[in-house]
Amino acid sequence: MFCTHCGAKIADGANFCVGCGTKVGAPAPPPTQPTPPAQHVEPPPPVPPPVVRPPQPPPPQPPAASAKCVWCGAAVTGADASCPRCGAALRVDRIVTESGWAELPGRKDMAKLQFGKSSCQIEGVYVPVADLNLAPGESVYFTHHVLLWKDTQVQVSTMSMAGAWKRMFAGMPLIMTQACGPGHIAFSRDDPGELIPVPLQPGQTLDVREHLFLAATSNVEYDWFQTGIWFTTQKGNETETHYPLGGFMDRFSAPRTPGLLLLHAAGNVFVRELGPGQTILIKPTALVFKDPAVQMHLHFERPGTVFSGWGTWGNRYIWLRLVGPGRVAVQSVFDRIEGESRNISGFSYATEQVW
Amino acid sequence: MSSLPQGESLDRIQCQWCQSMNPTGATACRACGAPLDIRNLVSESGWREAPRIRDMTEIHFNSSTCQVEGDVVPVAEINLGQGDSIFFEHHVMLWKDERVPLSLLPMSGGIARALSGMPFLISVANGPGRIAFSRDATGELVVLPLHPGMELDVREHAFLLCSHQINYSFVRVTGLTNILFGGQGMYMDRFVTTNTPGMLILHGYGNVFERKLALNESIMVEPGAFLYKDSTVTMDVEFQRLGSGFFGGATMSLAKMTGPGRVGIQSMYVHHKTE
Repeated sequence: MFCTHCGAKIADGANFCVGCGTKVGAPAPPPTQPTPPAQHVEPPPPVPPPVVRPPQPPPPQPPAASAKCVWCGAAVTGADASCPRCGAALRVDRIVTESGWAELPGRKDMAKLQFGKSSCQIEGVYVPVADLNLAPGESVYFTHHVLLWKDTQVQVSTMSMAGAWKRMFAGMPLIMTQACGPGHIAFSRDDPGELIPVPLQPGQTLDVREHLFLAATSNVEYDWFQTGIWFTTQKGNETETHYPLGGFMDRFSAPRTPGLLLLHAAGNVFVRELGPGQTILIKPTALVFKDPAVQMHLHFERPGTVFSGWGTWGNRYIWLRLVGPGRVAVQSVFDRIEGESRNISGFSYATEQVW
Repeated sequence: MSSLPQGESLDRIQCQWCQSMNPTGATACRACGAPLDIRNLVSESGWREAPRIRDMTEIHFNSSTCQVEGDVVPVAEINLGQGDSIFFEHHVMLWKDERVPLSLLPMSGGIARALSGMPFLISVANGPGRIAFSRDATGELVVLPLHPGMELDVREHAFLLCSHQINYSFVRVTGLTNILFGGQGMYMDRFVTTNTPGMLILHGYGNVFERKLALNESIMVEPGAFLYKDSTVTMDVEFQRLGSGFFGGATMSLAKMTGPGRVGIQSMYVHHKTE
């Protein structure tokens, strides 16, 4: 199929031309109005006639075993420019730092990924938008304040959730909103950063730090748990409890069928795989997600020459210590840890390193 | 936009962002800076991404030029010609030549604007000389050359600068719901061209997308994401009632934009403090 306006080749079933944006099936536009100066008449831009191409042999397929998406591991064909399951750019070298962090693979603007009978296009580069084309009967749920636009016919409704009281006290979103196809609905979050499509395989579970979730397909189960990571600070008679990871963490799983999870992280995202017992220290507020098998606890680090006890030291560090096995992801933009520089009077299980 | 140079062949390429004609072989549009040698990015749902203006691209209007510099938080650097002037809001000037004179745009309705928190002083810079503008957030500069007869409504505080041929006014956002829940405030800037073409530069937070709505075609948009529209497009805030749960359910306000005309949105938006 070819565009009636610009002649670009378009996929069968597409609604709009990818070359010029003309609606498919729209009548050919009248000759373009000449722009000023109007005294000499411009010829309309040449419209190339639809090119009739002889049927071409399909492009040679590389051996299936060699083609795998570096991000989600999906098997891909040589014809794909981006991974059909997570949208990552293909045919790019996996960028891994010497220390072993793999950068979230680049994504071509307008990369498209498929889930069920629906699809998702990721648009923009600074603050990317996830534009979902929901098939009839398929639905997604999403959190507050991420809906950017939608077709008028897409129905939204609330999804009831258990544990409302506990969630309200924890300052978590009380309700999730559900959108049902058919139609388009788009999400974004107002931070420059990355949109991370995480395809979940049946049986796979992922723990995500709060407020990073954008949307998920309805077959993805949503639960949360207490992080159990906290410390208290004392100022006079007042004791304050701080949760450097937040009080709760989101847990997403696809129990039976494959699902899609869309996260948004600020800045750039890096991921690494920890071996059994392998550890790494990260800034608590930089955590994006982890496999449930990865254990975490607080870790304090300070120079040994300083007066001992939990005083106010500028050179004391509060870390999150992650213990493998499993994947962990961090983002390069993070918040300050609240209460970091005050007197710490108590804390959840922590390890300590005194230099 | 000055008239096209004489003595050129009639073979021209039309910029698909602003519809201006450009000589063949041009790699960026003279009038809006959009790259002419790369494909438009249009989503399958019909949104066109605002063209990503290449670093250091030069744009022409009247006897002045504008160079777009940088790409994370881009700067619009104007080299004003003799007799040209531009107007702009407060707090967007980055630097200027010492000798470029500034004045104020005479405006009516100042008190109403001041009370509603809009900038009620619009400054004018007169050429010749150089003056540069930016806004302090990651985003895109959207260059909209305005042809005679165009009327564009722009979300308040979104416009960066505008050439002097364009009439600036503001329209009241009507309807109490629109004011309270529209997230736009009470006014929108309105730019109307006179007989001469002019140029308007907006700053969008994040990425900017545009789509053309046909007559009576509608789309629901997060009010904080609205950036600009043709004045023919109507905007009405609608509530989506979400269930009737324990806390009386929740409502979500969305702006229903109805064509015909263009609608521009930005992907990073101000969250309302209404929770």
